[in-house]
Amino acid sequence: MTGRAWQKGSAELLILSLLEHEPRHGYDLSKLIEARSGGVLRFHVASLYPLLYRLERRRWIGGRWVEKAGQRRRRYYRLTADGRRVLETKRRDWRTFAQAIGGIVGVEYA
Amino acid sequence: MPDWRGELRRRLAALRLDAAREDEIVEEMAQHLEARYAELLARGSDAEEARAAALAEVDADALARELGAVVPPAEQPIEPGSGGMLGLTARLAQDVRFGARTLRKHPGFTLLAVLTLALGIGAITAIASAVRGVLLRPLPFADPDRLATFWLTAPEKGLPVVALPNAVFDFDRTHSRAFEAMAAYTTGNVILTGTDDPERVAGAGVTHEFFTVLGVPPLLGQGFLAANETPGAPRMAMLSYALWQRRYGGDSSVIGRTIALSESPVTVAGVMPPGFDFPSHSEAWWTIQIDLTRFNPWYLSTVGRLRTGVTTEEAGREVASLMDDIKARHPERFSGADAGHSRAVAKLLREDLVGDVRTPLLLVLSAVGLVLLIACANVATLLLSRATSRAREMALRCSLGASTRRIGAQLLTESLLLAGLGGTAGLLLATWMVPVLRGLAPAGFPRLELVRLDTPVLLFATGLTLVTGILVGSAPALRGSRVNLTDVLSDGARGSASVTNRRWNDGFVVFQFSVSLLLLVGAGLLLRSFQRLRAVDPGFRVERVVRARISLPGRRYDTTGKMIAFYGQLLEQLNAMPGVAAAGLTQQAPLARGNPQNEFVVEGREPSAGEPVPVADIRNVTPGYFAAIGTPLLLGRAFEASDDSAAPPVAIVDAAMARHYWPSLDPIGKRVRDSQDPSVPWRTVVGVAATVKHAGLDARPSPQIYLPYAQRPQWSMYAVLRARADPTSLIPPLRRIVSALDPNVPVYDATTMENALGQSLGTRRFTDILLAGLAATALLLAAIGIYGVMSLNVTARGREFGIRLALGASPGTVRWQVMRRGLVLAGIGTLLGVAGAAALTRFLRNLLFEVGPLDPLTFGAVVAVLAAVTLAASWVPARRATRTDPIVTLRQE
Repeated sequence: MTGRAWQKGSAELLILSLLEHEPRHGYDLSKLIEARSGGVLRFHVASLYPLLYRLERRRWIGGRWVEKAGQRRRRYYRLTADGRRVLETKRRDWRTFAQAIGGIVGVEYA
Repeated sequence: MPDWRGELRRRLAALRLDAAREDEIVEEMAQHLEARYAELLARGSDAEEARAAALAEVDADALARELGAVVPPAEQPIEPGSGGMLGLTARLAQDVRFGARTLRKHPGFTLLAVLTLALGIGAITAIASAVRGVLLRPLPFADPDRLATFWLTAPEKGLPVVALPNAVFDFDRTHSRAFEAMAAYTTGNVILTGTDDPERVAGAGVTHEFFTVLGVPPLLGQGFLAANETPGAPRMAMLSYALWQRRYGGDSSVIGRTIALSESPVTVAGVMPPGFDFPSHSEAWWTIQIDLTRFNPWYLSTVGRLRTGVTTEEAGREVASLMDDIKARHPERFSGADAGHSRAVAKLLREDLVGDVRTPLLLVLSAVGLVLLIACANVATLLLSRATSRAREMALRCSLGASTRRIGAQLLTESLLLAGLGGTAGLLLATWMVPVLRGLAPAGFPRLELVRLDTPVLLFATGLTLVTGILVGSAPALRGSRVNLTDVLSDGARGSASVTNRRWNDGFVVFQFSVSLLLLVGAGLLLRSFQRLRAVDPGFRVERVVRARISLPGRRYDTTGKMIAFYGQLLEQLNAMPGVAAAGLTQQAPLARGNPQNEFVVEGREPSAGEPVPVADIRNVTPGYFAAIGTPLLLGRAFEASDDSAAPPVAIVDAAMARHYWPSLDPIGKRVRDSQDPSVPWRTVVGVAATVKHAGLDARPSPQIYLPYAQRPQWSMYAVLRARADPTSLIPPLRRIVSALDPNVPVYDATTMENALGQSLGTRRFTDILLAGLAATALLLAAIGIYGVMSLNVTARGREFGIRLALGASPGTVRWQVMRRGLVLAGIGTLLGVAGAAALTRFLRNLLFEVGPLDPLTFGAVVAVLAAVTLAASWVPARRATRTDPIVTLRQE
């Protein structure tokens, strides 16, 4: 599976998961995805931000300009209550899906 | 560092995003690129490499594709989420721009809606300015809410208002605890001679506390002192600012100077500040010198300052109980039966000044409010119909991600924009209507000069505009935000929500009809009263008659002989004037201000002790008076020149009095006395005249007794002239004749009787014109409303009608179907309106004349008019329904 396919199918799940515990800004998110996937997954600006805006419009995440002392204001995204519910569902679906695929192609899922 | 923001802007330009939204996106992405660039440099890339790698992340095509799918261009409302204040104002600005564009795209709709609202808002603003000026603005006195006037009352004697004699006023001012201070005054006219032509000046004789009680210090000089009141002390006067400017050129040396008021010397004590006008239209105030022991005449009006916390009811009770004390102290003057039953009324000065116009003004204000509601309903109907035709647009915007709340806000912005335009146009209309209103108001309408568009009225209009915007916008906004995507898209342009829509519209039509009916019934009752009033026989003929008042200065005309000589000469010359058909003099012309009354006794019907003494309108008239005024003599003879002071005392009574006292007897030869005093000789009745409505067409006349002028002369008389042609042409020669007889005798209050009658109906006509205008407006708006709703209905059901016609329904059936709907709605509205009107018209009772508040004729006529309007307004759409071509409507699917 290529990075592009990943983005199409499950990019939303990635973003929601990364925002589960704390609000983050866009650059932070792109770095985390790259780092935690060991460089396999990469989001370009041209796809990351439209995705964030789409999630925001669905009210799964909320973006806000935050000014911290000594820093320039940045836009932070956090998970909304709706987003949290969606995340639970998507996670469950993903687990079921991955197990089903695993059972067929013979890859044990950790 | 590369210019990331410029790069990004170039790439986003094609998307044509809303400016504020674009700024945000550019900022966010630029920060990302900066961080990425810095990171690459840190890893050892050179600047050009790092820049290229960073820019690769914002590939123009990918950016446009991805972003375009999510962020709608500026034309569409966007959903910037919680963008803070910046997002909110940007969104508002966007809504306003979008709304303005929508309104521009439908100029017909916009014009109709704006005009309707302008009419409603303009009318209510104009009336509100009148209500504020006349009823709400504080009086120009210190602490005006503690100023009150009071009087005694004896309704059982037919005397609702009894002024005070000197002794009673003095007792009250000494003993009252409810009032901190009080003053008495008596209005009158003085003749100012000296520097210029003799001029009649209206004013008041006042006690020394007058200006202190009102709390207005003089502009120049000083007020009056207690010593000025003592009989024999030098007399003092205060001048109004206007009189001071006009007559003395604003020369302050006039203070202390002696001037001639009605030919007696008076010292000018001071000048009052501009705007001081109490009692109304006063230009001078002079000290009255009163003998405080006198119980006659009963002539003083009062004004007092209430102690803090004292109500007018308490003050009234106190004045009544003080009157009882007086009666107990002076048993020789007051018969025993009267004691302990005195009654008095105290009223806030403000309420007293505007008493007559309060009800009509508030009535008109409520009517205007109802018209505005009808206008709102009309505009809401228009907006709703557009919401239906825009259902697809709304659904599309929903599918593109606009939230329903966002669409609701957009629609509300549009209606607020409409209301804003309507409010602005309405204000313009009001600036034009306020002078018209002032012109329309009858002479003597109180505080008219205070009617203007001031800040509170403008604030009121602004608030009203906002409320109107929300009112007309809330139905479509609610409706618009409830669009169901699949329903709309699968159901064609009509949308299943049009059922809800129709219910709203039906509600509006019912509402409009019931409110219009209410207004029409109210206006109808008042107009019927007016018609009845005009049909009243006043007892005289107004055509081609003028009247003018003449006052002799009492100092020079100090004997009855001098008065009789002057008026005798005058009458002779008036009769000789060319163009005069008949001339006479009377103490008091009908419909003129004031109504001299006296107690009287009929021989054989003397009241026993304790029985109320009857009161009659008493007039001294010269020979020729009845012919000049046109009052028919029903029995006996008119006065003749021979009825002079040497002749036996005679009288003429009116028909109603004759019927009452001598129902089946010949009144000629019966005797009456114009006083309770038994030493006054009896007068023999020589004639019976028609009853005259002296105090106005709607007044219940008192008994009327006429005396020959020569047997009881007066200083002040009205000349009454019946002209052969134009009556006004007689006024200049009349003035010349009087001036030739005595240049210091003024002629004033000169007017045609027609004019006087018009003025006496003034407030009533004012109210009636306004209400009739408003009712007509309401009817027009309601007709537009029902026409609009019927048309929409026909459009919405076009397919159904098409199918029915195709299946063989006759055009008549379809037409009837449409019209039946209109009739049912109008019927429901009429029922509700009749119920409302029946409940509310009793508040009109005081304004009605010989017409009951439930007058079946008025109700019937109004219902018939509304039915006709309904038929007319639904006929056109009904006819259009039968012309539906089935093929065309079905092809639209």
